[in-house]
Amino acid sequence: MADVINHVLNTMLGLNAPEWLIIFISNSIAVTLIFAIAPLQMLFMTYFERRAIARMQDRLGPNRVGPKGIFQPVADGVKMFTKEDIVPTAADKMVHLLAPCVVAAPVMFMFAVIPWGPGMYAVDLDTGLLFFFAISSVSAVGLMMAGWASYNKFALLGAMRAVAQMVSYEVPALISIAVIVMLTNSMSIVSIIEAQSGLFISQVDVAGIPDLGLGWFIFSPVGLLGFICFFIAALAEGERTPFDIPEADSEIVAGYMTEYSGMKFALFFLAQYLLNFLLCAITVITFFGGWQGPGISWLWSMAVSEANPAGNPIFNVLAGILGTFYFLAKTYFFFFVMIWIRGAFPRLRVDQLMGFGWKFVIPLTIVNIFSASLWIGWIRWELNPDLAFLSALGEPYSFARWGFAFVATLVMNVAAYTLMTRINRSPDETIDELVADQVFGAVTLR
Amino acid sequence: MNIPIERGKVVTVARGQSTSVAGFSLSKGLGVVFRHWRRAWFEKQHQNVPATASESAPNAGNDKSKPTAFVTLEDMSKSYGTFTVEYPEQRIKLPEAYRNMPVLLYDDETGHELCTSCFQCQRICPPQVIHMTQAKDPASGKPVPSVAEFIIEYDACMSCGFCAEVCPFDAIKMDHEFELSTHDHPSLTVYKRDLNRPVSYYESIAPGFWAEARERAYKKLATNMKRRPGAIGIAPHLTEKITAAQAQAAQAAAAQAPAAKAPAKKAAAPRAADTAAAPTDKEAKLAAIRARNAAQKGGSAPAAGTAADAPLPTDKEAKLAAIRARNAAKKGGSTPAAETSAEESPPTDDKAARLAAIRARNAAKKGDATPSEESDQPAAETPPANDKAARLAAIRARNAAQKATEAAEQAADSATSTPEAPASSSEEGKPLDEKAARLAEIRARNAARKKGDQE
Repeated sequence: MADVINHVLNTMLGLNAPEWLIIFISNSIAVTLIFAIAPLQMLFMTYFERRAIARMQDRLGPNRVGPKGIFQPVADGVKMFTKEDIVPTAADKMVHLLAPCVVAAPVMFMFAVIPWGPGMYAVDLDTGLLFFFAISSVSAVGLMMAGWASYNKFALLGAMRAVAQMVSYEVPALISIAVIVMLTNSMSIVSIIEAQSGLFISQVDVAGIPDLGLGWFIFSPVGLLGFICFFIAALAEGERTPFDIPEADSEIVAGYMTEYSGMKFALFFLAQYLLNFLLCAITVITFFGGWQGPGISWLWSMAVSEANPAGNPIFNVLAGILGTFYFLAKTYFFFFVMIWIRGAFPRLRVDQLMGFGWKFVIPLTIVNIFSASLWIGWIRWELNPDLAFLSALGEPYSFARWGFAFVATLVMNVAAYTLMTRINRSPDETIDELVADQVFGAVTLR
Repeated sequence: MNIPIERGKVVTVARGQSTSVAGFSLSKGLGVVFRHWRRAWFEKQHQNVPATASESAPNAGNDKSKPTAFVTLEDMSKSYGTFTVEYPEQRIKLPEAYRNMPVLLYDDETGHELCTSCFQCQRICPPQVIHMTQAKDPASGKPVPSVAEFIIEYDACMSCGFCAEVCPFDAIKMDHEFELSTHDHPSLTVYKRDLNRPVSYYESIAPGFWAEARERAYKKLATNMKRRPGAIGIAPHLTEKITAAQAQAAQAAAAQAPAAKAPAKKAAAPRAADTAAAPTDKEAKLAAIRARNAAQKGGSAPAAGTAADAPLPTDKEAKLAAIRARNAAKKGGSTPAAETSAEESPPTDDKAARLAAIRARNAAKKGDATPSEESDQPAAETPPANDKAARLAAIRARNAAQKATEAAEQAADSATSTPEAPASSSEEGKPLDEKAARLAEIRARNAARKKGDQE
């Protein structure tokens, strides 16, 4: 952003603007965009979810307000705004008021490090990934505040469940993401995306083939297992079905949101949907290349960037549009997957949730860390000065090594998965019973 | 997966093939959901069940809706796609036995209400929301088998349908109308005026039930009509409508035809024949009902015959003949029938009435001789008094054609059942405006042809 502003103001218009002004303008624009786009995303997501889940249940979904019901979220918003704000008499009023803010604010912070397209980010923190997950954990405080301040059994129960769930599932989420940090050697989200250019056969460029932006980590066994574990953890973090235990409406009314109405409730709702969006986004960024895709690098090579200050800003716009399209398409696909899972599976019990998290997902992610280190070791031997002579063996050798690493880590991960399913079956369950269990398979954890 | 489950019997359901890898059955569940999603988008409202008997029933339905045929699926496991009925636009056809609120019936042709004020419904009503007053003969002060006022409190009615079941005269029936919500609470106390529904309406919503009740209902009505003097027992809104129409016609005639000797009375509808409210008309009404019954029993040909050899000495007889002819046309199936509406000739003008009857007979005869060829025979040769009358004649002719088409549809022998031309005769008898008369003739013919083309 700052590059483009600098180019437009100083190079094209010759205003000789100071650096602080450029930074101020670019950040103002970025913040405005985030605060404008984030709620719109949330509005669209509610509509998207309701329409998609309706079709899965052979219904139509909201289709009355506007064409195909597209303005339904607006109508819902109006309803929320005009609702009476009810605070329980026994509630801790200050904490009750602050809780939705504490939940919603971190989610808005998280947007700061999300790149929507090449060069389209508010800030590129060196510890962007860490920032993202650290800030997302703040929400748990807000949930606990909401549950505690409501002076309501259901709310407190929901808050306890939410915090327990979020804390225990942050562990597998972060271990899965640690694999990506190992692969890219960076915690900057921008450089993680940039590392996923090229082709999926190899993390290194292959001569003669253009940069198609398909070097996504999902195409390696390490990335695949990491993705599966991370996405499961993301479902739990975002309180999506089958992990929607904190707000299990059939058990504890609405969990920590029980005593909230009107705009305070809407803030929780906003925070939740935005968190889901961000979790899908970070899944896409870490495992599916973010805005990477065919054509981006070609457009970006002609745009204004640090490497190419003499480029044309039009290509910034074009690359941005295409990158945003790729990014949003992937993100909404994963949000669709979340809806899809919601349509398919029933809710887990709390003990099943905890058992699944600690006894199944976390061991798998730890194995994944191990196979990731092997993977990195095998495909990057030549980076070690002592083993530099191996690179002299040429490209065929490099590919063969890559293939070996692929097969070896795949075997390791599949073996780990199989072992976990065997270990996690209940003691009196035979293998045949386990296999015949059609609902959750080994994951039932009776 | 059709599993007939008897009471108390445990059925073990085979759950398909088991997967070889534990945990992968999750993907199977996702597959099922995805299939539903895909089909709901791309294969909308798929009904894979052949039309059942309920669907092939006459498509009566509410007039305000475009009823979409929704078939109850025998096997829900085979259904897919969205099955939502988008209510205000789409409606499920209500079953005949659906009941919401009770209404009162009156005969379409005579306008007579079927209710005799026997108080059976009032007695049986569990929430006690039915109230009625028996009609009294103003001359003698004796009670008459007819109801003066009938009130149902819809707000407290529980839709049990006891009133309809207990009614010995089939006068009170359960309506299918269910959109009764209102801001106006007192409007839910409904008076006879708003409770009255024509028999044809009930027949349209519950054809099977009415077919069962029809004969006994009309039989009892005929008996009761004998004991109703004057306009007593005629649906009140019809009485008013008829009076209004008469007044209007009189005005028009006075303005347009100063040469008219007699005050021209103009009837709005066929049932106007019975609304003169003169005691002498009682016989005519009776005759009409008898004629109809005869037509019903004796098939079409005899009915046509009776219509044909009416002697027609007075206008009363003319009316009778007209009603008979109309009934014959309605019931007459494949045989050609003549439609006359010679109901309102001025009492001084017997000639016109006779003319109408003769014309009707001629039309019937002609239709008999050549049933298949040249069926368009509008007999509106007598020029109507004015343009309005002409238009009226045209509308009548069209209605008659419609009825004739319906009759033809019912006929088994479809080869000879060409829609019959209505012989609509306007009987003002004053050749004031020939152009209007010709216009009416052309309109009638076009309407008949149109009907025929649709056939």
